[in-house]
Amino acid sequence: MSAMIDIAGLCKWYGPTQVLNDCTTAVASGEVVVVCGPSGSGKSTLIKCVNGLEPFQKGHIAVDGISVGDPKTNLPKLRARIGMVFQHFELFPHLSVMRNLTLPQIKVLRRNAEEAQQKGMRLLERVGLSGHAGKFPGELSGGQQQRVAIARALAMDPIAMLFDEPTSALDPEMIQEVLDVMVGLAKEGMTMIVVTHEMGFARKVAHRVVFMDKGEIVEDAPTTEFFGRPRSERAQLFLSKILQH
Amino acid sequence: MFSNFDYDVIVRSLPYLFYTGMTFTLLLTALATIIGILIGTLLALMRLSGVPFLTVPAAAYVNLMRSVPFVLMIFWFYFLVPYIGQWVTFSAQPIKVGAFASCLVTFTLFEAAFFCEIMRAGIQSIPRGQVAAGQALGMTYSTVTGYIVLPQAFRNMVPVLLTQTIVLFQDTSLVYVISVTDFLGAASKVAERDGRLVEMYTFAACVYFVVSFAASRAVQLVHRRIAIIR
Repeated sequence: MSAMIDIAGLCKWYGPTQVLNDCTTAVASGEVVVVCGPSGSGKSTLIKCVNGLEPFQKGHIAVDGISVGDPKTNLPKLRARIGMVFQHFELFPHLSVMRNLTLPQIKVLRRNAEEAQQKGMRLLERVGLSGHAGKFPGELSGGQQQRVAIARALAMDPIAMLFDEPTSALDPEMIQEVLDVMVGLAKEGMTMIVVTHEMGFARKVAHRVVFMDKGEIVEDAPTTEFFGRPRSERAQLFLSKILQH
Repeated sequence: MFSNFDYDVIVRSLPYLFYTGMTFTLLLTALATIIGILIGTLLALMRLSGVPFLTVPAAAYVNLMRSVPFVLMIFWFYFLVPYIGQWVTFSAQPIKVGAFASCLVTFTLFEAAFFCEIMRAGIQSIPRGQVAAGQALGMTYSTVTGYIVLPQAFRNMVPVLLTQTIVLFQDTSLVYVISVTDFLGAASKVAERDGRLVEMYTFAACVYFVVSFAASRAVQLVHRRIAIIR
């Protein structure tokens, strides 16, 4: 089985500080992988390397067979095929919700305005926000904004989706509405890497859990195995802290 | 002091003051603002590009412009532009540049340095995540800059840009050094011709105050209208 996302021996430094150390993992097409670990463990940095938002110094990443680190790779073109959802939504605040969805389609995929609009509307319906197309992001709640952000990424027809702590900046009562959308996506067979502390979500939809600490992948195991009997001490400690409530 | 204040001289010279003087002042202000913002934005993008080949000349230009007295620049450009024009166009004699064109070039280039710093602050005020989001969607540098960064930076900076325009409006009076008739120049000419210095300068001061004050109130209104909801 060829991997959709292949990460091999990835190392990254910020100046003298090493933030990723020899990370190796692979995500197959249709697979959902949850990345968890204490803060500062390099989870976000790892997935930002996958679409080249963060450069890396050593190792190799390939998405759908295309090398991310290769200077000859057309990064914008590759990124257009990988959806990304950010912790702080990052909707464009000066554009309406609909324009947030159509602008990238028109400018990057060269779709015509009408087509982009139809696609945008379908996805807004899907995330339950079709009534908000004309509003500005600032007029929506955090949960609604994040659902728009997911719709915006999906409008590009991505082959894989990266989620960078999509619920960490949300009020507790809004977390579920965002997770519901993500569960739906996972069930449809979207390839996903999700950095999250939502262990309930991980248990429910993840095929595999990657546990990171201090820039290293400490554990990479099928979900049931990870929650059942994590091999590493650090993962056990992390789970005991996060699951005791 | 006001016992023999001659209001009539003001009324008599109104057409000259406004038609000749104020037209020049406003036209120079408007054109220098628009072109200055365009060049200033370009300079700001150069300064923030991270490419030494672009950052160094842009920074040098801005620092040079900001450390030379404006009056000197006006003076210097007035005498230099014809020769630069000659050099550029390979003509036999210095090209003829009107006083207005010379002023416009000077003001534009000078203000561009200030607008550059305003736009640079504006661009830097846009969260890095916005750029990352644009890039993650596959947008190129020019799309991210043109559709995501600059529209937000510009809207955030409109109050500062307009305030700078008000300063520019007042600074246009400095064209007196090359004997150009702007609003103050017109007032000054009437004042000296008729020996009515108190009347004309007082009136000119009032007009500058009213225009500048009204404009700065308008800036606040505009800002409230176009502010981005966050």
